[in-house]
Amino acid sequence: MMGALVALMIKDIKQLLRDPRSLLMVLLMPPAVMAMFVSGYGEERSEVPIIVVNLDEGAISWQLIELLRSSGSFKIVAYAPTMEAGIDLVRRGEAYAALIIPEGFSESVMKGYSTKIVTVLDAAYAMISELVWQAAVIMVQVFMKTASEMYGTFYIEVVRQTVYGPEVRSVDSFTSTILGVLLHLVPMSLIAVSISRERERKTFEQLIMAPVSGWQIVMGKFIAYALVTITDMVAVFGFAVYVLGVRVSGPPTVLILVSILLLLCSLSLGLLISAISRNQLQAYQAAIFFFIPSMLFSGFFMPVELLSPSTRAFGRVLPLYHFLRAFRNVQLRGWGFRDIVPECLSLLFETLIFLAAAIRLLKLRVD
Amino acid sequence: MLAIEAVNLVKVFGSFKAVDGVTLKVEEGVIFGLLGPNGAGKSTTIRMILGLLKPTSGSIKVFGIDVEDDRSSVLKITGYMPQHFSLYEDLTVEENMRLYASLYGLNGRETEERILELLDEFMLKEFKGRLAGKLSGGMKQRLSLAVALLHRPRLLIVDEPTAGVDPPLRRYFWEKFRELKKRGVTILVTTHYMDEAENCDRIALMSKGKVAAEGSPLEIKRLAYGGDIIEMVVAGNPREVLKETAAKVLDFEENGSYSRVRLLVPDASEYLIPLTRELEAYNVKVVRAYPVSLSLEEAFIRLTTGDGVSS
Repeated sequence: MMGALVALMIKDIKQLLRDPRSLLMVLLMPPAVMAMFVSGYGEERSEVPIIVVNLDEGAISWQLIELLRSSGSFKIVAYAPTMEAGIDLVRRGEAYAALIIPEGFSESVMKGYSTKIVTVLDAAYAMISELVWQAAVIMVQVFMKTASEMYGTFYIEVVRQTVYGPEVRSVDSFTSTILGVLLHLVPMSLIAVSISRERERKTFEQLIMAPVSGWQIVMGKFIAYALVTITDMVAVFGFAVYVLGVRVSGPPTVLILVSILLLLCSLSLGLLISAISRNQLQAYQAAIFFFIPSMLFSGFFMPVELLSPSTRAFGRVLPLYHFLRAFRNVQLRGWGFRDIVPECLSLLFETLIFLAAAIRLLKLRVD
Repeated sequence: MLAIEAVNLVKVFGSFKAVDGVTLKVEEGVIFGLLGPNGAGKSTTIRMILGLLKPTSGSIKVFGIDVEDDRSSVLKITGYMPQHFSLYEDLTVEENMRLYASLYGLNGRETEERILELLDEFMLKEFKGRLAGKLSGGMKQRLSLAVALLHRPRLLIVDEPTAGVDPPLRRYFWEKFRELKKRGVTILVTTHYMDEAENCDRIALMSKGKVAAEGSPLEIKRLAYGGDIIEMVVAGNPREVLKETAAKVLDFEENGSYSRVRLLVPDASEYLIPLTRELEAYNVKVVRAYPVSLSLEEAFIRLTTGDGVSS
């Protein structure tokens, strides 16, 4: 009985070792993902970009600003002259929050009055907003403790305001994430196995005996899969908006456009994988293998701005990055088509690159 | 004109030489058989001819067109029936045919006509709406051949059409091939059934990646044995007399007052009667004389084990 077990085990090990591509992927995946994760998230936490609006004339406000700047939590990307200008910068996505220090702040502190600072948070990015809010509250506590030694007791209230708010429900902020998975991983892995399946079933051998070109095979699959998956995507989208009541601030047609562009990009990337894979399993693994960094570095979990610089550069070429940016801006911030043209062009451009590469790399041979 | 001219083909997979310097010249309008056991390099050779595999070295022309340079022109005049059923199992018989008609660039009317014709010719009419995956093995083979013929190719390349096929269908296929030959189609067929190869006009015997012999089935056999074999039953024991003739004695068996002899001659049909007369001139009574039919299989074994080649 043990003899059979050992024999079977040895057979399976041999089979594993004799498919080096698959094995490489399986063995490489865990360390590669860990390395990616560490390089993206493991370094010292990056600073959240914020705007500071200092309406105060005195010196004490600058002590507070210095404390914020050196805290390691914030990166002050701009000083705005007015509250309106600060809020506008947040609206335009230049920073996740604006900290507003009111007129007469220094005076109030010195006189031991109570005063306030206002944090204007971008509710479209609920997670970051929460982070900024908590850090601001803590920093103000620290400031009160150290400053009271010099100026005596006073009190600063931290007031919370939001743009694109008041509050974003989880279901709203997760819509882009869920759609990202549905429109990226699913179509990519679906089409990734298509050509290798033809190779495995030998239909490829007959197909390439007819006078067909590589571009006809690639585009035929691309268009067919696009038609089928777009139909499905519109249904999913309709379900989310009309049945689940997901909040949509911008025009739904623009959201659908962005979704279609991601879908096409995913399909073309899947075809590229398919063109270079030898069998279905390999293609499927490659699709998942590609999806992992996409998930880690595209703003899926954490805004790309908070990653380390090298991973940030990598994140910015991922199709999912362009999609998430464009989609969130339209859905939660109510932006229109003009505002997301760069993201749309990036997706389109990447689609064309992937298709061209797939056509170039598809071999009409059976080696 | 040469339908296929393959010169010095070599295909190396890693350290394994699957095809080792094969030269094939197939005249237009013949049935050419590529014979040999599994692993002899037959499929690799035809895949190179079809441009499915890139040869390590050597050149291939189909009707004068270089396969490497202008594969699509070659494909337009070539039909291919692979060893394993390679059409779409999740499409119906008719859908598969329509797909390939489009790929071969047939127009609407041609498509309709050709499909009707082929459904009829290959007895698939009543199954045209059936998914190809639900067809029996024989029907699949017929569909596969029908699709290979959609665009009326001048050259038909068939890889092991009769492997795992029952005898009536095997016979059907060979009748089809002869019919196609009459219509002017050149056929290159691989098989490891030696008995079938008798149907070919010319054959090339492949062994270990090389062509061991080439010629008509008759020529191959003569090559293997050094000529034809005649068997005679004669009176008495004319052993000494036989030495005077042009025939070589292969076997001599005395049985009472008669002897049975096996003689090797260059050509049985030419030598049978003169030899009989010659023996009778020596007063040897010939009771029976007939040519012995040899099997290609034996010839193949003799040729590849090196028995006959030297003689």
